[in-house]
Amino acid sequence: MKAVIYIISTVVLFILMSKLHKKYSYSFLLPIVTTTIVLIIALLLLNIPYDDYMEGGKWLQHLLGPAVVGLAYPLYNQRKLIMKYKYTIILGIFVAMLSGLVTIFAMLKIFKIKDSFILTALPKSITTPVAMQVSETISGIPSLTAVLVMIAGFVGALFGPLVFKVGKIKSPISRGISMGSASHGVGISKLKDFGEKDLSIGSLSMGVSAVMGAILCPLFVYLFF
Amino acid sequence: MRIIRIIAQIGILYFFYYVGVFLVDLTHLPLPASIVGLLLLVGCLQMKWIKIEYIRDGAGLLLGSMTLFFIPAMLGIIDYPELLSINGLILIVSVIVSTLMTIYFAGIISQKIEQKELKMKEKKEGKEGKIIESSHLHH
Repeated sequence: MKAVIYIISTVVLFILMSKLHKKYSYSFLLPIVTTTIVLIIALLLLNIPYDDYMEGGKWLQHLLGPAVVGLAYPLYNQRKLIMKYKYTIILGIFVAMLSGLVTIFAMLKIFKIKDSFILTALPKSITTPVAMQVSETISGIPSLTAVLVMIAGFVGALFGPLVFKVGKIKSPISRGISMGSASHGVGISKLKDFGEKDLSIGSLSMGVSAVMGAILCPLFVYLFF
Repeated sequence: MRIIRIIAQIGILYFFYYVGVFLVDLTHLPLPASIVGLLLLVGCLQMKWIKIEYIRDGAGLLLGSMTLFFIPAMLGIIDYPELLSINGLILIVSVIVSTLMTIYFAGIISQKIEQKELKMKEKKEGKEGKIIESSHLHH
């Protein structure tokens, strides 16, 4: 019974927060952020343990598997765009994934952060649902990974345009590739300001980088841990 | 009718997901089962074994509400108060710096590769143009 209440309240809150975001489209009002914060406060105030909440939550989470499989639909639809710029897209995303992995790994090693946190941070450039499943595969902490992924997204949305200016990154294709493969969905929402082409290359890069990251992350872990 | 169709299509996506789970269990591949399922589905679409119409509405519904499905997992951070420590701060700052560097490198390098690919294409098209021209001369 409790489980049903948890499911319904999560869904209802999410719908309300989505409406709020539609009305005022600030990125800090993204439903994922607001719903999570409100629910965390509710769990803490009502003294509900996380495991108890998950009795209901696990049913929602279970839909992530088929939802990620569903990413095949946009990827297949964009195959013509991929083929048109295949070298740039494949190599560009490869460079992005590699520099994301190497820089975060090097920094955390320098500060002597424990391995379980490093494994948690490695998938941070990948879109949340895939990142969490990668995190699980490489024995990171999926929920922490999800938070770091959100941070990576916001960094891209807020400072991405500045990085483009500093690096003189002017082509829509390279803007889309770098944002899509470093800051996933939250980052590419910012590409709307640049143009339609930036946006479609961005969402395509998000999908391709998720698949590539899901393969590269475990490989990286296998080589360096 | 539409609801039944969507449920059946989600069933197809679940099927591919479980094939992925089965293959990962069998081979111990270090890959998320859902990504294995995704790759198999893209393969089937490419081979025309499955029509895109068979998954369109189901995938659309799941993708549209995907954020909802990972909210329960995000709440898991309440079990990790360590995030509010020095180590947590280092973790967050490192993610910020790493993301900025990734956007920078990926942007600069993909811009270079793009220029090369464009040049290659122009050369190729130039050649093809000449071949057509010369075959015109022969006839």
